[in-house]
Amino acid sequence: MSSPVQPPSARRFSPGRIAQWVAIGFALFWSLAPIYWMLSTSFKTELEATRLVPTLWPEAPTVANYVGLAGTSLPFVAFFVNTVVSCLVTAVVCVVIATPAAYALSRARFRLAGTVGYSILAFRMLPMVVVLAPLYLLLLNARLLDSGTGLVVGFTTFGLPFAVWMMKSFVDAVPIEIEEAARVDGYPRWQILLKVVVPLILPGILTTATFVFMEAWNNLIYPLTFITTMDKQTLPAALVLTFTGQFKTDWGGMMAAATITTLPLMIAFFAVQRSMVRGLTSGAVAGA
Amino acid sequence: MAAQAPAATQARARPRAGREPWLDWMVLPTLVVMAVVVGYPIVYTILLSVEDYNLLDFSPANFIGADNYTKLFSDPIFWQSLRNTAVYTFGSVGISALLGLALALLMENLGGARFRAIRALLLTPWAVPFVVVAFLFRYMYLQNGGVINALLLSSGLASAPVPWLNSASLALPAVMVANIWAMAPFFFLLLSAALSAIPNEVIESARVDRAGTWGMIWHIKLPFLRNPLLISSLLMVISNFNDFAKIWAMTQGGPGYSTSTLVVYVYRLAFENFEFGYASAIGVIWLMMLMVFAWFYMRALRMERR
Repeated sequence: MSSPVQPPSARRFSPGRIAQWVAIGFALFWSLAPIYWMLSTSFKTELEATRLVPTLWPEAPTVANYVGLAGTSLPFVAFFVNTVVSCLVTAVVCVVIATPAAYALSRARFRLAGTVGYSILAFRMLPMVVVLAPLYLLLLNARLLDSGTGLVVGFTTFGLPFAVWMMKSFVDAVPIEIEEAARVDGYPRWQILLKVVVPLILPGILTTATFVFMEAWNNLIYPLTFITTMDKQTLPAALVLTFTGQFKTDWGGMMAAATITTLPLMIAFFAVQRSMVRGLTSGAVAGA
Repeated sequence: MAAQAPAATQARARPRAGREPWLDWMVLPTLVVMAVVVGYPIVYTILLSVEDYNLLDFSPANFIGADNYTKLFSDPIFWQSLRNTAVYTFGSVGISALLGLALALLMENLGGARFRAIRALLLTPWAVPFVVVAFLFRYMYLQNGGVINALLLSSGLASAPVPWLNSASLALPAVMVANIWAMAPFFFLLLSAALSAIPNEVIESARVDRAGTWGMIWHIKLPFLRNPLLISSLLMVISNFNDFAKIWAMTQGGPGYSTSTLVVYVYRLAFENFEFGYASAIGVIWLMMLMVFAWFYMRALRMERR
């Protein structure tokens, strides 16, 4: 630090700079090595995958594990469709219900706005397992157990409060003056919301939907509890349920299934990565 | 609470006063849905917790008062699960926050495209589904054929394969490593964003004052990161309290109860033994503990708004 005004990046090969790149290299290895291992294993044969001295690169790369997924007695295609559909429907339902709520909480002057907002946030903090047993009984009585609808109801319990809060931070960022012209022309609130605000916060809506989608995709406890017919199961739950049987030793097949489970989530994640940074940070960095 | 809210809303310019019914209506669908899928189950949980409700028992449930609660206090597995929950949650969140902070500081001076590319790569673990994280680490931890043991043996760091997930003392730390791997990117992302939000003038004037690297981090940057760090940690504490997928798919709470957290224990009670009453009592106690956290969280949020 001899010359303090000069930014550190100006000196290319100082010891500090080398240490920095070594540390970044280590961080990259730590983050990516397990993912590489999953991909690499998914192209190995069952025998090669559990060898005592593992091979870094598959000796005889094969797509048999992926082909095998479609051809087993287990309905992997159905698992995939079930997961995508239930998570997508959850995301859409949550966003549709949450958008007007977020708008109202952001713009409202009514006395309870703060209280209502914070109670919605408090719901978000409930331990999922606390509502699990009563939710199970609720779905049982409503005859929604073992159905995609029941699953969506379950996912919504946690997706909705999250969606309201995340969307509120996006609505907060829309200057109120933009709505003024429409208000002067006498348009009702819901039209202002649909025609003025929604187009402006579309990236935020997409980000929120993706988040709810990811959260539903990660949820294991609800499908495991609410779905009893194997054909209706989701991918994460199916992985857990079949592991004890089919994949007991077949780690190649397991990692192929894991890769398939990861792909949609990763695509969704990277599609919204940039606006997601904004969505998350506006809540945590700039305040709610 | 109510006194706080209007003060916060008045800060923004309101062109028109008065009630607007449309705004009230817009919250209604959310409130109705929440009342049905969250409010009702909570009330039901409290009711179940004072009954001996067992789904397999055909005789009607009886009111047994506080029996479930007294049983809970002398239940060693409950206490072990509580301890595991605390270790798992605070350990994972603390280490992840530190790693994320270190990375964010480390990457701060990288500019533009290079930063974005490395950031995207470092964020990848966060996009891996929890169940996949669990199975991936379970595979790497294998006693025979697992890559971690293979590396330890070939480098001479271990003389015999380590039974990571089959040992009562190693299983919890091993699950935590997988959890940290998946969670640290979240802190890195948030803290990077918070670092870039520090006004340039602050950094510049500290430079002019000849602040060293550590002095700069300690006296200038960390105070700016305090609130984002606090709020993101609380968020993650809450989501870790709830974490079921990683633990269940890796160890199912075993060996024994060595990796059972409260979620896993309540799940086992409710859906393996169908003791809904007792499971609900644990749920209620847990709810109370979370309320305390929620309170701290709200306070942190409010403090930040000032």
